[in-house]
Amino acid sequence: MIWKITRWGGRLYTLFVFLVILAPLVASLIFSFNSDRFPSLPLKEFTTEWYLLTFTDPLVLEALQRSFLVAIPVGLLSTVLGFAAAYSDYRYSFRGKNLFNLLMMLPPTIPAVIMGLAMLSYLSRINLAGNVYSIFISHVVISLPFAMALIRLRLAQMDPSLEEAAWNLQANSAQSLRYVVVPYCAQSLFAAFLITTAVSFDEFAVAWFVSGLEETVPVRVLVFLQGQVSPRINAIGTVVFATSILLVVLAMAVSGVGKSIRPKATDQ
Amino acid sequence: MENILIEVDRVTKRFGDYTAVTQTSLSIERGEFLAIMGSSGCGKTTLLRMLAGLEEPSTGEIRLDGVLQNGLPAWERELPLVWQSLALFPFLSVLDNVAFGLKMRGVPKAQRHAQTWVWLKKLELEEFAHRNVAQLSGGQRQRVALARALVTEPKVLLLDEPLSALDAHLSVRMQALLRSLQRELGITFIYVTHSQSEAFSMADRVVVMSRGKVEQVGAPKDIYRHPANRFVAEFIGNVNIFKGRIEGLSNGVATLQTSLGRMTASIGDVSARLGAESDFFVNADQILLNTADYPGNSIKAKLLSYKFVGNMVTLYLEREGGEELKVTLPEPAYDSAGLKIGDLICASWPTVSAHLFPESH
Amino acid sequence: MNININKVALRWSLIGAPLLWQLMFFALPLLFLLVISFCSVQNFQLAADFTFKNWSTMLGRDTFWSAYNYTWALALATAFSASLFALPAAYSISFHMSQRMRTIAIILLVIPFFTSYLVRAYAWQIFLADNGVINALLSPLGFSTISMLNTTFGSWVGYLTLCMPLVILIQVMGMMQIDPSLIQAARNLSAGPFRCLFEVVIPSIKASLVVAWLFAFILTFGDFVSPTYLGGGASPTLSNLIIDTVKSGQQWPRAAVVAIAMIATLVATSLAAMAYAYKGKK
Repeated sequence: MIWKITRWGGRLYTLFVFLVILAPLVASLIFSFNSDRFPSLPLKEFTTEWYLLTFTDPLVLEALQRSFLVAIPVGLLSTVLGFAAAYSDYRYSFRGKNLFNLLMMLPPTIPAVIMGLAMLSYLSRINLAGNVYSIFISHVVISLPFAMALIRLRLAQMDPSLEEAAWNLQANSAQSLRYVVVPYCAQSLFAAFLITTAVSFDEFAVAWFVSGLEETVPVRVLVFLQGQVSPRINAIGTVVFATSILLVVLAMAVSGVGKSIRPKATDQ
Repeated sequence: MENILIEVDRVTKRFGDYTAVTQTSLSIERGEFLAIMGSSGCGKTTLLRMLAGLEEPSTGEIRLDGVLQNGLPAWERELPLVWQSLALFPFLSVLDNVAFGLKMRGVPKAQRHAQTWVWLKKLELEEFAHRNVAQLSGGQRQRVALARALVTEPKVLLLDEPLSALDAHLSVRMQALLRSLQRELGITFIYVTHSQSEAFSMADRVVVMSRGKVEQVGAPKDIYRHPANRFVAEFIGNVNIFKGRIEGLSNGVATLQTSLGRMTASIGDVSARLGAESDFFVNADQILLNTADYPGNSIKAKLLSYKFVGNMVTLYLEREGGEELKVTLPEPAYDSAGLKIGDLICASWPTVSAHLFPESH
Repeated sequence: MNININKVALRWSLIGAPLLWQLMFFALPLLFLLVISFCSVQNFQLAADFTFKNWSTMLGRDTFWSAYNYTWALALATAFSASLFALPAAYSISFHMSQRMRTIAIILLVIPFFTSYLVRAYAWQIFLADNGVINALLSPLGFSTISMLNTTFGSWVGYLTLCMPLVILIQVMGMMQIDPSLIQAARNLSAGPFRCLFEVVIPSIKASLVVAWLFAFILTFGDFVSPTYLGGGASPTLSNLIIDTVKSGQQWPRAAVVAIAMIATLVATSLAAMAYAYKGKK
């Protein structure tokens, strides 16, 4: 009996936790349509003026453009380098391999402020700071681990005889990569691209440090936040959120992640 | 010498502290169906992989048509392999799977397609040509793997236990297919398996391996009748082994003192010494039953159980001292003998049916 | 041996390309940071000398140590509270949900992780402000205005928003590795749900719990968004300190000192946590 109570109590609690986690997102969405300047209850009129203001603000539009201009190349390079790193880990053994893997996977554990400071001081030393290139470089460093982890997971599922079969059929190392490994990982590669693009699109802290005057959207948001309270932030926030969600959901659908989450005992 | 296609010359393979193959030499002939047989860990798959170039020998040489193969990467060799897991490319259709080897060689598209279709027809796969391999049945996938390997018209085909995942019925059909294909193409098949029945039903010659060494090479019939040592005999399984001491040698016959009395055995080519401890064996199908006054080797044994396999019956008896005695005979003979479980039976065999083993190593 | 040159070239470019990139743009900048901490600033420019002055000044300042202790304490509190709050939810997701519900739950957890933390944290202002949603709901019930914004409580809420999804996810991943027959066995031996939790589940997934805790700690230790926008910035964290130091007069060497101190703390904590997690294994 007590199991039943804890079962339902647990589910209720989980629901509550999810509500709390998603509350700010939902609230942001709701209040972005609220005509009141200050977010409070009760709600005033429904309006789309904040969205209009946002999308007609040249600084925001410029930032949006720049966000995509940076995010997509970041996605491409991160995926390529992430694949190279994942395949190297999968196939080759070499001295210092553990250090190699550490170097690849470490960036997310370094606080963004520190990364920002390090990148700013280093890149300005080699005259690369204060422009989109610096954002590009920093973001590739940050998103590479995600691409590598995703692709490495897929490679772990690959039957090792597949590559051997390719070599056996006269495909050399490069050909087997091109005609067997890459097609096998195609879904994961695409998912990695989407995720790394999303990571770049969202990343604000390091971008803020290194971008100088060439802002991306999150940086613009940050700048906004340092100004006065404005419901336009909710509008921008919702747009950014919607874009990121779209990218991530697409990535999950493409890579079939949802299907692979299964408890141990029911694994086929 | 022109008949030898592949020469394996004193090859050893070590993985760290573990030696998978020890000083193995083998001559593989053109156009023969060779089976390499043994239980897991005996080195048979490692040997196959070394032929294919997926592993390099630690010492020793491998030659194909006189050309040294050591150091050549797998993609420079032309020994296609049919994998145990089949290793079909899941993202390609049947047609593209089969055509893969040709594509890697740079064969132009039209010719590639033509050649591929020939093989699809040959193995009855035309209707599946554009389907994804995941949608095929086990037997169909087997044929795709075969077609993929044979489309490049190699001199040799390597097979690594390809039938182990199939059910008995399908396996037998595939064995027949492999045999007829090999005869028709006239190329060398090198077939690795742990199954004695597969090896014996398809191969011209069988190599028995154990713990990295070759124990015996020969035609199936020869191995069956004349296992070279105790290991091979026990592996084949249809023999009864006796221990004894040689008391007399004359005219190709050895007289031995055993725990069951005095017995005789043929010496054959074995070097036998007076007074030496020697094992000898008798094939299960050479033992006669219920022969009370037999002027040869004779022991008493109790019938424990029996098993029907096809139209043969295998009897399991217990001899004095508790060891098992195995006898196989045709079903009609069994019926007319009228035996019951628990009966004490007289089992006998002539001297020519008993053979000495060489001294064990 | 021309054929093998291709093989070798491929191997080294596959290993080398990402390696080179991370060395040049990740390892070197961090190393550079270390170097800077020993440089001095003259005329708003970095001078190429070697001095301990930055270190002695920074480590001698009260502002540094109060920020350090505050950050450390807050991160610790967040890591533990997040782990605690996450546990029942993770347990419920792993063992009391159908396959389909579990997939939905996990998707819902992954999504916030990849969306703008900045906006999520900021949006908490909607709830926590003096005239925000929570106070608006509570005042008709007779409560006086609760001040939640610009307090440590605000920072804490923001931190939880940052790390909760990840903590739950990692705990769930750990719990799903448990052989369900273990739980079944415990139930058959009349263990109640709490005993089951404490004596079967938790010991089995000690490593995952520690990893989840560690990630929460690392994320919150370095975060500046929540303390700034929800905590009011009155009591600065180390990350706030770095930003302030950089903004006022380009004092990069001093900021570098704070950064190195943070990294050292994080590395030490990670090593200790991992040692604890895998103690007695392998």
